[in-house]
Amino acid sequence: MLYTVSAVQILALVDALDELEKRSTGKLKVAQFMASLQDREKGTFAGDEWGEEDTRFLYGALNALSLLGMLHLVDVEKAVNHVAACANFDGGYGVNPGDESHSGQIFTCVAALTIAKRQDLIDQDRLAGWLSERQVPNGGLNGRPEKKEDVCYSWWVLSSLSMIGRTHWIDQEKLIQFILQCQDTEQGGISDRPGNMVDVWHTLFGLTGLSLLGYPGLDEIDPVYCLPKSTVERVLGKLREPSAV
Amino acid sequence: MPAKNKGGVSKAKETEAKQQVSAQQPQTVRELEWQRYWSTNPLHEIVEKQGLAKLSPTDKRAYLNLELARSPGQIDKLSKKGQRELWKQLSEANIPLRSAPRPRDDQWGHDNAGRDIGDYTPEEYAAYEQKKSRLSELRLDSAFFKRDRERAYWKTKNEVTGEVYTITEDDIRAEKARRQEMASLYRGLGNKIHSSYENDPEWDDVVPIPQEEPEGALSAIAYEEDYAEAMAYLRAVMAAKEYSLRCLQLTETIIDMNPAHYTVWLYRFDIIKALKIPIRDELEWLNDVSFQHLKNYQIWHHRQQLIDLLHLTPGENKFNKRELARDEHNFIMQMLSKDTKNYHVWSYRQYLVRKLDLWTSDDEISCIDLMLSQDVRNNSAWSHRFFIIFSNPDLTTFGALATDPDSIINESIIDREIKYAQKMIEIAPQNQSPWNYLRGVLVKAGLPLGHVRDFAESFCSPLVKLDEQEEVRSSHALDFLVDIYNDADEKEKSIYLLRRLSEKWDPIRKGYWTYRQRMLQPQQS
Repeated sequence: MLYTVSAVQILALVDALDELEKRSTGKLKVAQFMASLQDREKGTFAGDEWGEEDTRFLYGALNALSLLGMLHLVDVEKAVNHVAACANFDGGYGVNPGDESHSGQIFTCVAALTIAKRQDLIDQDRLAGWLSERQVPNGGLNGRPEKKEDVCYSWWVLSSLSMIGRTHWIDQEKLIQFILQCQDTEQGGISDRPGNMVDVWHTLFGLTGLSLLGYPGLDEIDPVYCLPKSTVERVLGKLREPSAV
Repeated sequence: MPAKNKGGVSKAKETEAKQQVSAQQPQTVRELEWQRYWSTNPLHEIVEKQGLAKLSPTDKRAYLNLELARSPGQIDKLSKKGQRELWKQLSEANIPLRSAPRPRDDQWGHDNAGRDIGDYTPEEYAAYEQKKSRLSELRLDSAFFKRDRERAYWKTKNEVTGEVYTITEDDIRAEKARRQEMASLYRGLGNKIHSSYENDPEWDDVVPIPQEEPEGALSAIAYEEDYAEAMAYLRAVMAAKEYSLRCLQLTETIIDMNPAHYTVWLYRFDIIKALKIPIRDELEWLNDVSFQHLKNYQIWHHRQQLIDLLHLTPGENKFNKRELARDEHNFIMQMLSKDTKNYHVWSYRQYLVRKLDLWTSDDEISCIDLMLSQDVRNNSAWSHRFFIIFSNPDLTTFGALATDPDSIINESIIDREIKYAQKMIEIAPQNQSPWNYLRGVLVKAGLPLGHVRDFAESFCSPLVKLDEQEEVRSSHALDFLVDIYNDADEKEKSIYLLRRLSEKWDPIRKGYWTYRQRMLQPQQS
């Protein structure tokens, strides 16, 4: 599932989703594979035939299926109900119903609900209140209360806030400063925390975080898909055209 | 002649001295060989390095005599007297007559790692030679083993004794040891491939399936050779659907190298099922793996599958729920002692509570009490507390969401939890977890936040326009009071608090407080 989602995202990025028809087994087959991983009773998605379930997979499926225009292959309503059941008393979301709220998981849940056009199920003020509590005095964001800040949460927290239109609830200037401090100014790249080794993962989320913060010189990023806005608009725009092909 | 003779000797001594200068300890096999060669050709060294002109007349003659003597058939052309004179002169020149073979640049070759063997140090070279001879010795023995095993397979008789050839456990053990030694020698000789399975007689019947990369693949995966080999064998046995102990062993090897490879876990679980491996044994093995890989996802899924399986087949595994619950509790606590907030562990714990019906188990509630008394800021423990109390199917409405009020919850439980949260807030008023918890309990109970108005107010001085002297022990209390005053139609107090929160008590979230202020004063926005 995760590799399939990545493949669809890369094809979307390089405008090659149509190549699936020309050079491969076609969009439908790819979509059917992902749809086959849904538990039709619970609405959840497994990561593979093995059956590990997690809201990460649910989000991944909705992400890729929507880019392919194949959401109708799955039971979106059941999936939505499952996500709603992962909501916690503190306003956040966990991996499974009853599991602790976690910023990364909140991203997957909020993005899934956004793709399904069911943001109405989110207690937005409560959630954003919890998310904005993630900012620590040095400007960075953490994933859970009393945990260390990390650049990747600039993305998980900020994208979630962005989807519900509340990025201004945190101190954006301070967060920009924090991300910039994590830069390796000699070799390039961004690390998890100032002074640590850089890697691709944190560089991506540092950059996408800066993009959401409107940092000058960066393309706009889509908070739901973690792809450039222009890419998402192109792909979803094509789908909306009444089958012009 | 005597004078010349003397001159010759003294020159030879000079040459010797020169040679000693250049004869410093050789660093490589190549240097050693050249040194050996020059030591047998001192005059040639001078001629080659400095030119013929550098030789004294005596040495020049000795050099030419030597060249003549070393040229096959030339001496015979001289008269008997001439020959005698030549040998006499050579003997007086006191130089070695026989030359060591002249080193060739390519004479040492390269080892399998691409390194020129001529660049080895003499010690390295000695070890290299020793390994090579040991390896060929072992290869011979191994070839005999294979021959005998073949004979044993066909039940061939020994022509001399008439006995059928057999292969004993000891033979196999010896061959295993031999192949291990061979593999390590082979690798030690600069070979990159460590063919542990290829050399294991137990795996001789399996044809490994190596990974085929499509040509020009965008990013070729650089597998370690050991890993690649093990994977090639895994593909082969998985394709053959072989479920055996050796396969179980193979999965362990691969998991050890790459615990995130989920296919191998899937296969391992199938083997466990097929061979009916005692699940408690597997759980115990898994404990060790878990301690090594604290952040791995697959371990936890495997564990859940094992517990599910145990649950389904109670008879076969002498399933004892209490014993299992106790063992799992011990394991969980050990894991949490390494990281009290490990998400996987907590998530598994919640699964286990559901699966084994541990809602009211003493191991749960009193353990959480203990953990929170050790670290009142452990949000994972707070979250688990909420789960075991408000998702307990015996005491709550089935299917109620964590965010829904639930009217069937006993009042005494609500009271107890409110008091508990309040007690913990007193310990660390600026700790957001128990405030969130308190709010969650009130929502479950269907009680307004005003229920704890006095409590919240006790964390700040009376508010009305004290500004500079105001004392606040918890910004979370102010957050509560904003809602409490708003519900009680004391909007001005709410707005005042929101302003103070954004100005002084929690300025990093200024945007949030301003937003809420705007929501309370829609006419002004």
